[in-house]
Amino acid sequence: MKKLAFFLVILAVLFLTACGGGSGSGETADGKIELTYINGFTGGDGDFMKKITNGFNESQDKYVIKESQEKDHYTKFKTGNYDLVIIHTDLLETYKQDGMIQDISSVMETAGISPDDFHDKAKEQVTFDDGVFAVPLDIHPMTMFYNKKLAPEAPQNYADFASLTQTLQQQDPNLFATGVPSAGLGEWFIMTVAAQNGINLVEDNYMNFAQEELADALMIYNDMIFKDKISPEGLGLDGEFQAFMKQVDEGGSAVQTATALTGPWYYQAVKEAYGDDLGIASVPVIGEQPGVYGAGHTLALPSSVTDEERIAGIAEFLKYMYTPENLINWADSGQAPTHMPTMELVESDAAKYPLSAQNIKQFDSFEGAPKLYQYREQVRYVVENVYPKVVGEANISKETLMSELEKATEQAKQVAETAPQ
Amino acid sequence: MMKKSMKKNAFVLIIATLLAIVFLLPLIFMLFTSFKALSEAMSSSALLPKEWTLENYGSIFGIAADVPVIRWLLNTGIVTIAGTVLVVFVDVLAAYALARLNLPGKKFFFTMVVAALTIPGIVTLFPMFYIFRELNLINTFAPLILIYSANTMGVFLVYSFLKGFPKDLEEAAVIDGASLWQILRFVIFPAIRPVVATLAVLTFLTIYNDFLWPSVVTSADEMKTVTVGVANLVQGANFVNPGRMMAATVVATLPALIIFVAANRYFVRSVISSGIK
Amino acid sequence: MRISKTWSFILFLPFLICFVLFLVVPFAYGLYISFHQWSIFGGNGGFVGFDNYVSILTPGNVYSNAFYNGLKNTLIFVAISVIPLVVISLALALVIDSIPDKLKVFYRTIFFISYAVSVTAVSAIFKWLFTGNGGYVNNVMNTFGLGALNWLNDQPLAWIAILIATVWWTIGFNMILFINALDEVDRNLYEAASLDGANWWQRFSNITFPSIKGVFVFLTIITVIASFNLYGQTLLITAGGPSQSTTSLIMVIQQIVFNQNNLGMASAMSMLMGLVMVLIVAAQYLYTLRKD
Repeated sequence: MKKLAFFLVILAVLFLTACGGGSGSGETADGKIELTYINGFTGGDGDFMKKITNGFNESQDKYVIKESQEKDHYTKFKTGNYDLVIIHTDLLETYKQDGMIQDISSVMETAGISPDDFHDKAKEQVTFDDGVFAVPLDIHPMTMFYNKKLAPEAPQNYADFASLTQTLQQQDPNLFATGVPSAGLGEWFIMTVAAQNGINLVEDNYMNFAQEELADALMIYNDMIFKDKISPEGLGLDGEFQAFMKQVDEGGSAVQTATALTGPWYYQAVKEAYGDDLGIASVPVIGEQPGVYGAGHTLALPSSVTDEERIAGIAEFLKYMYTPENLINWADSGQAPTHMPTMELVESDAAKYPLSAQNIKQFDSFEGAPKLYQYREQVRYVVENVYPKVVGEANISKETLMSELEKATEQAKQVAETAPQ
Repeated sequence: MMKKSMKKNAFVLIIATLLAIVFLLPLIFMLFTSFKALSEAMSSSALLPKEWTLENYGSIFGIAADVPVIRWLLNTGIVTIAGTVLVVFVDVLAAYALARLNLPGKKFFFTMVVAALTIPGIVTLFPMFYIFRELNLINTFAPLILIYSANTMGVFLVYSFLKGFPKDLEEAAVIDGASLWQILRFVIFPAIRPVVATLAVLTFLTIYNDFLWPSVVTSADEMKTVTVGVANLVQGANFVNPGRMMAATVVATLPALIIFVAANRYFVRSVISSGIK
Repeated sequence: MRISKTWSFILFLPFLICFVLFLVVPFAYGLYISFHQWSIFGGNGGFVGFDNYVSILTPGNVYSNAFYNGLKNTLIFVAISVIPLVVISLALALVIDSIPDKLKVFYRTIFFISYAVSVTAVSAIFKWLFTGNGGYVNNVMNTFGLGALNWLNDQPLAWIAILIATVWWTIGFNMILFINALDEVDRNLYEAASLDGANWWQRFSNITFPSIKGVFVFLTIITVIASFNLYGQTLLITAGGPSQSTTSLIMVIQQIVFNQNNLGMASAMSMLMGLVMVLIVAAQYLYTLRKD
């Protein structure tokens, strides 16, 4: 009897507390206007973004930014109410067409920022026919890390990779020049080699992969693995990074690579593992011309935000954030800001911001994602089905590859057609 | 005769022990990896750490900790206990009404319960998510607890048990002038204790191990259950430090393990099979 | 009985409310949504009739490809997992049943312990154990002179890895149910059988199995349903790879809801998935009924 009553009390309490929840955005206890800002910076970079928002909050007596860092922040964004959201450049078109974000140019104007303050590549990504839909934050291109003990100098082209791998193979058959993964960064590998061969994959509103040039270009990864042993076989999800972090031991089966073509977010990890032996360089040219793919973060204004005062608060925050002395915190995390005054600050002290400064050097050859509706879904088939075959099947024929690329194009077309009219 | 059974026992024990060792290996691997520094965890997969470090645990419990594992455990505790109590309460009463009382529309309701047994969870999951979102209840305990209450399996389980249980006692109690509450409390409940325990255990385990639903309806870090919270450490575009991930996993798993070991005899003694037969 | 209809109904009411709110309403709403163009963010975008269903059932359509791929993968997993999950747990239960009573609890606890580990933790552990490049399993195989295998990137290895993780994780649950059932088998029957000189197999097939058959059937059905709901392991261990060959149907649906914002399409897929599950479970049920 007592027990039952006890449980009922617990239950009642729970319901009451449950109702007390809910993400109310409004005024805080001390009368400040609370603005909610959501991003996906759950890695090491999160702390640096916090420095910026905390700095803003301390400088303010009118507004306060409540920042949430969530791994799955897009889902959270769609299911909650937020005043400011970080969006990757490849998703801007989709979010814009789905009506989830709005033109931010007037807010930028109030904040005293112009699209011209940003590197051309970044500016181009946020500018659409009918307005500017985000404020660029950074570009994170594919980055090359190298282990100076194994590769005293950074390889710059295919020949460098080939000779490096020969040297390493003589030391130990489990040592390789670099790693080509089958999943994880597949999209980056595909798009980088496309950029380096000057292949335009966009046709109308979809990705056209069914191009002989692309098939030929992709085969270079097949050669790297099966012909020239530049990369070990069978590297899986995030294999390029994991192989770089391994240590070969006598008689073991683990393979190790001297370089990694990977995402800059691994910087903290590789730095911790290699210390002064770590080198950072631009992505080597394995195609015909320099070119590198990657992504970028931008700040966008959700369509739901219409309240004048909140918008004024956001402008105030942007004004604070896009002051080089504040935005430099973002470079401190290793990210490469696209705001030109901040870029200058980074370059003037390259020793302090090694990764950021190095990646700024790659901006000019950077090719971002095309502005297509549901771009990630359009490339899904090629990334998850075609690319793994290229790096996994030693004797894949060009015919097989082409027919797969045609399937990929067909999927992309159909995805493009799902766009709202 | 005696000797033979001793021999047989020894043989069974050896087999069981070998199996147990293989079985515990993944947990041992988890424990040891959690004491490895980042570069060692990445570079080698030997079972024992070469250098033992506590820094992974420091990063979870330390000042700079950004992983609220304790909070996740607390959430899981609240959700599983509240959900289980709710299900048992609701289902036992309903099953009693269906099996023993003069419930109007009994046949209809019984058919409804049986028919609903076949509806898989996925069919109602996303609409339910949408409803809770429209009600602005995402990131509250409400969706995490309430949805388990439509547990037709539980009603069916208790119903079957009650059907196979003689009516005499209850009728005697009615003749003695016992109230409904007294009958429930002193006759029915003691009699159906085994099946109630079964239902409680099954429900507890279902809620505890659920992943999809809590991952859909929680977005704020402080509302996640352990299962969802740890998932964020396992996958993600950002770098995942395996040592730290394992440390979080150890912390997330340990309380549950302790509860399981402590409550083991209840789980087993609950005569789980009784309701199923 | 003197307990009134009103009181009977009051006792039934809490369940009825929960049932309507959390089963009937979402089910009906899901059905309704499946006939609409519907986005998580934008809500109802208009009635489209059977369009969503037609897209899913038209071969070559992008949704149809995703659906069939997910369904195929899920069915593969159901096919490969149900027998091990039921048979191995029964074998384990038999081993434990023949352990002397004092030690029984100890071993039973060990094999049940993994069920207390959440699916995410299970996935984290097995993902690292099975890592292709220098993972623990490969290292062990290497010391025995066996070559390294690409567990998570090749088929059928990826399925085997997921199967092992699933068996390890859930076997304790089935095992406990079997142990309970075995406990209740009438010991006198065994004694009579051993006097008749029956061997182990005869005892098992003539006494043990018939006594636990009810539990066996129940567990098989439960396991089929659980395997159908494959989600966490493939999401976290293989991320659906290699080449989308472990992308389960629930992963497909989840991705259509959140990545493509298409709740209408996802609801239609859920309905179809539910239909397939109902058919399979019903077939299984009828089959066992007929046999009895």
